[in-house]
Amino acid sequence: MKRYGMVLDLKRCFGCLSCVIACKAENATPPQVFWAQVKEEEVGKYPAATRIFFPILCNHCNEPPCRDACPTGATTKRDDGIVMVDYDKCIGCKACIGACPYGARYFLDKERYYYPEGPTPFEKVGYKRHQVGTTTKCNFCTDRISEGKEPACVDACIAKARYFGDLNELESEVSKLIRERNGVQLHPEWETDPSLYYLY
Amino acid sequence: MKEDVWIKTACDQCYVPCGVIAHRVDGVVVKIDGDPTSPQNFGKVCAKGQAAIMGLYNPNHIEKPLKRTNPKKGLGVDPKFVEISWDEAMDIIVEKLRKVREDDPKKVIMSTFDMSLIYEAMAWLVAFGGCPGVWMTAGFFCGAALHQYTYLTNASFHTFPDLEYCNYLILVGNGHGFGVGSKPNISSQCMADARMRGMKLVVIDPMCSHAAAKANEWLPIRPGTDGAMAMAMLNVLLNELGIYDREFLKMKTNAPYLIRPDGHYVRDKETKKPLVWDAAEDKAKTHDADVKDYVIEGEKKYIVDGVECKPAFQLLKEHVQEWTCEKASEITTIPAETIRRIAREYGEAARIGSTIVIDGEEFPYRPAANNQYRGAYTHKHGGQSALTWQLLNLIIGGLYAAGSHQGLNPVGPDNAWEPQEGPDGLMVAGSGVMLPPRMYEFLEWEEDKMPDSADLMPLFPATWSLTTQFHLALRNPEKYKIPQPEVLVHWRSNVMITGVDAVDTAEALKKISFQLSFALEIDETVEFADIVLPEPYYLEKSDIFIPTCYVAHSSDKGLWGWGIRQPVVKPRGERKEIYDIFYELSEKLGFREDYNMMLNVMLEAAGGRKPLPRLDPGKKYTREEFMDVGFKYLYGPDHGLAWFKQNGWLVKKRTLKEKYPLKFINLRVPIYFEHFLRAGEIARRVRGKLGIPLDDFDFQPLVGWKGCPAYENRNDPVYDLYVINYTSPFQQYSISPENPWLNEVSEMHPSVYKILINAETAARKRIEDGDTIEIESTNGNRSKAQVKVSQCIHPEVLGTGGALGSWCKGKPVAKGKGPLFNTLLPMDHDHIDDLSAAVDACVRVKIVNVIKKEKE
Repeated sequence: MKRYGMVLDLKRCFGCLSCVIACKAENATPPQVFWAQVKEEEVGKYPAATRIFFPILCNHCNEPPCRDACPTGATTKRDDGIVMVDYDKCIGCKACIGACPYGARYFLDKERYYYPEGPTPFEKVGYKRHQVGTTTKCNFCTDRISEGKEPACVDACIAKARYFGDLNELESEVSKLIRERNGVQLHPEWETDPSLYYLY
Repeated sequence: MKEDVWIKTACDQCYVPCGVIAHRVDGVVVKIDGDPTSPQNFGKVCAKGQAAIMGLYNPNHIEKPLKRTNPKKGLGVDPKFVEISWDEAMDIIVEKLRKVREDDPKKVIMSTFDMSLIYEAMAWLVAFGGCPGVWMTAGFFCGAALHQYTYLTNASFHTFPDLEYCNYLILVGNGHGFGVGSKPNISSQCMADARMRGMKLVVIDPMCSHAAAKANEWLPIRPGTDGAMAMAMLNVLLNELGIYDREFLKMKTNAPYLIRPDGHYVRDKETKKPLVWDAAEDKAKTHDADVKDYVIEGEKKYIVDGVECKPAFQLLKEHVQEWTCEKASEITTIPAETIRRIAREYGEAARIGSTIVIDGEEFPYRPAANNQYRGAYTHKHGGQSALTWQLLNLIIGGLYAAGSHQGLNPVGPDNAWEPQEGPDGLMVAGSGVMLPPRMYEFLEWEEDKMPDSADLMPLFPATWSLTTQFHLALRNPEKYKIPQPEVLVHWRSNVMITGVDAVDTAEALKKISFQLSFALEIDETVEFADIVLPEPYYLEKSDIFIPTCYVAHSSDKGLWGWGIRQPVVKPRGERKEIYDIFYELSEKLGFREDYNMMLNVMLEAAGGRKPLPRLDPGKKYTREEFMDVGFKYLYGPDHGLAWFKQNGWLVKKRTLKEKYPLKFINLRVPIYFEHFLRAGEIARRVRGKLGIPLDDFDFQPLVGWKGCPAYENRNDPVYDLYVINYTSPFQQYSISPENPWLNEVSEMHPSVYKILINAETAARKRIEDGDTIEIESTNGNRSKAQVKVSQCIHPEVLGTGGALGSWCKGKPVAKGKGPLFNTLLPMDHDHIDDLSAAVDACVRVKIVNVIKKEKE
C-alpha cells in the first residue's frame, strides 16, 4: 500500500516563497488561505545572527487528530495516506481546526477576492472548488499526482528543497533521504505520525 | 466541448525569460508550470512567475488608448486621462514625431527595461534617427560598474560563479543563487546543489539577506566599503602569502607589460605595441613576440629606450602594500583577523596550478570565486571597487577555469560572438554578446568630442552604461549643452520609483514636451504621459528574443537555449503589440524600409552570420512573419516560428570549448587599466568646458578604494544612519508589489515591507518593533514605513527592500506599501562614480519622526 509523504530540506530552503505562490495558483486558494507557507524567524544576536526559513503545510498524519475530531466524517484519510476534506459533508464546526496541532487548516468564513472589483476570471473558475462555510487545507495536489505530476509546491521549488513520494517504498527518493539524512517528523511525541519529514 | 490546453511560452516577471507552460481551460489561464525542457529554469518557476496569473487579470490594467487632458504635469498630479480611439492616438503621435524628426530626430529618446523587445526597439530608434542608446531606468544600480568590469575583464555582459565545481564562494553585496539577480531559477538550484556538495559560502552584506542566512559565514559590513576589504585581501595574497597564479598572469593578462613612470605602457617605437621583458634573453620584446620568460615582478627596474620601467604586476604588488587588514578593518568594521583568514581560505581554496580532466580534456581548476553585484560597487568610486574584487578573481587564475568566476560567455554558440583583439592585445567582446561593448571606443574619438545628445558619452568615456547620463541630461540639458529632448518613448520602466530622487525626476519628465507610454498600468511614470497605448500582458503577446545574453546564455548548466514567447490568451480590450505599433509608426512616418534594414542588422549582430534571405526592405512584416524570418535566419530553416510554437525551447549542449573557452583564446585581459589615463584626460577636458568637477582618483590605472560621501560623513551627528536597499526573491521589481499574491505574502512577511533597524540602535533611539518611522536623507526627501527591530542588520544601517512605496492610484494594491528607497538618493556629480557612472546607492539619513505603535 502506498503512503504519500513529503520531505522538506531545511538546508536547501531559503525562503523564496515559490511554493507558497505555486500552491495559491494550483489550488486557487482565496485571500488569507495558505495551504503552503514558509515561516521565517531571526535567531541569535548580532553579528552572530541569522534567519531561519521553515516551510509548513498539512502533515497528512497517519493518525490525524482532525479526522478524529470531525463529527460528520467529512475528514477522511485515503488509502494512500492523503487526508481529505469532503466539503459536502463539512458543517463548518471548526473542531478539526482546534484539533490540528500544526495549524494547517483554514475556515472559509465568506467569499473573498483579491481585487475589490470582484473575482477575476481565474478566481471565478478556481473558487468553484471551495465552499464557503467549510474547512480547507492542503490535499497534496491530488489532481496533479493522479496525472503523475508532483504537487505544485514541489514542482515549483527553485532550490529543490521539497521531495514527494511513497514513504512505504524503501527505495523511493523520499525514503532514502529520510534514511540517509535522518529526517524527522514535527513533534513525533504527539503521536500523529506525520507524513512530512524535515531534513536539517 | 471543454477546452483544456497547455501552451509553451516564456515568463516576463523579471528580465530573464524562463520557459513556462501555461494551462488554459475554457479561455482562462489557470496555472503556470515551469517548462522542464527550458535550460533557463529546468521546470522551476519562482513566486513572481507563479503570481503572474493575478497580473494577467488585474482589473486596474488599461485596455484602451488614453489621452492626457490635464496639461499640468508633476509628481502626484492627476493626468486626467480620457479614453480615445487608436486612430486618434496614432494621429497625435505621428504628427508629433514627424515634426521632431524634421527638426532634430535626436530629440527623441527611448526608455525601457524590456529585455525581450530591446533589439526591435533599438532598430526602430536607429532607423528613426533618435538619440542612440536606450535609457535603462535602473541601470545605474545594477549595470554601470558591473558591465564595465565584465566587458573589460571577461569579454561578456555579466558574471556568475561556476557552481558545478566551486568550493569557496564569496558573495559581495548580492544574492546570486538565492532567487534574485539574473537567471534566479537555475542559479538557485545550482547554489543549493553546491552548498550541499560542501562549497563554503561567505556573504558580505550589511544585512543578513536570504543568501547570508544560508551562508557558512555572514560578514556584516559598513555600506560602501567592500572595496577596502578587497584591497586588503589583495595585499594578503600578493604580499603576505604570495598566493597568485603566476602562469595565468604571465600568459592571460597584461601583468608583464612594462609601465613608464607616467603610468603609460612602454611601447615599441615602430609598432607602438606594449613591451614586456623577457628574462631569458634579458631584453624587452613586444607583448606578442616569442617570449621565453615573462617578467612580472621583482624590485629590479628595467631601462627601455632610456626610460625606467617596471612590469604592471610588480606595480600592483607595491601599490596594495599600504592596505593592511587593520586599516581595512577600521573602514569596513570587519575584524582584521577575519579579513586575513578569508583571504587565506580563498587563496588556498583556489588550488593554483591544479588542473581537472573533464570528458578527457584537461582544464585549469580554480574552485574559488567571488561574485559581486550592486551592493559592492554602486557607490561613488565604486568602479574601482568592482575592479578590485575582480582582480581577486584574476590573480588566482579564476577566469573561465573550472570552479572559478565566469563571464556569461565570450565565444557564443559555434563561436558566433568570438572575442576580438582590442587595443594592445587585450580581449574585447564580440558584437553578439549583448549591446555594443564599446569599452575602448573612446580611444578613437576625435580630440574635441563633446556631448551632443542625452547619452552624454564624453562625460563618462570609460563606462558602458548610459543610464545615469540620461538622468543627468534630462534634468539639466543646458548644463551639458545638449538640446532639450522633446519626445520620450517609454514602456516597462517606472523611473519615478526605480530612478533616483523622485522629486527631481519629476522635474525632468515635466520638461519633455511629449511622452508616449506603452503601458499595462498607470504607474508613477505613466502619469507623465501625453498618450498611453495599452500593451498586452506577457501571456497575450509574442517575442522572439533575438539572442540577448539573458536568453541564449543558460550558462549554469552548460547548455545553450533559445525560446519563444507566444500568446496564451487573446489581448484584453484594444491592446496591441509594441512591435506592431513601431511598425505602423515607421510606415506612417515613411521609414519602413530603413526599419526593415535595421532589423536585419540586429539579427546579424545577434550572431546569425548565415547567408539566408532575411527581411526584404520593401515588404511589410507582421509580428509572426518577422519572428519566422528571424527564427529561420538564426536557427536554420527547420526551426521557424511553427517549430518554436510547438516545442518552446531549442537546446544545445555546450562544447567544452564553449564552456571553458579561455584555453582557446590567445588574448589578454587587463589587471592594469592603462586606458583609464586617456579616459581621464577626455573626462577632464569635457568637464572643464562644462564646469563639472572630476576626481582624478577614479581614472588611475591601478585599482584603489576611496570612501563615498556617505562614508566620509559617517560621523555626522545629524544624519547618523546609512540607508540601504536589498532585493527579496518575491519582492524585487516595481511591478511586484501591485501583484495581490506577492503583496499578500509581503504583508505577512516579518520584514520585507518594513524598515529594518538593528536592535541596539533601536533601543538607543527608543524605537520599538512596530513603530512607524519617517526618515529624511541628505537630499531632503523623506520616506516612511513601519519598523522591524532586528539582529540581522549592521548597527549603522537602516534596511529597505524591493521597489516599494508606490503612491499612484493606478496601482491600488501597491499604493502605500513599504518604504520608497530610491527617492532618498541624491542625483549629482558628488554621488556619481566618474569611472562607471554608477549612482551611489547608499546615503545618510536621519529619523525625523517616530510614530509609536499604539498611537497608530
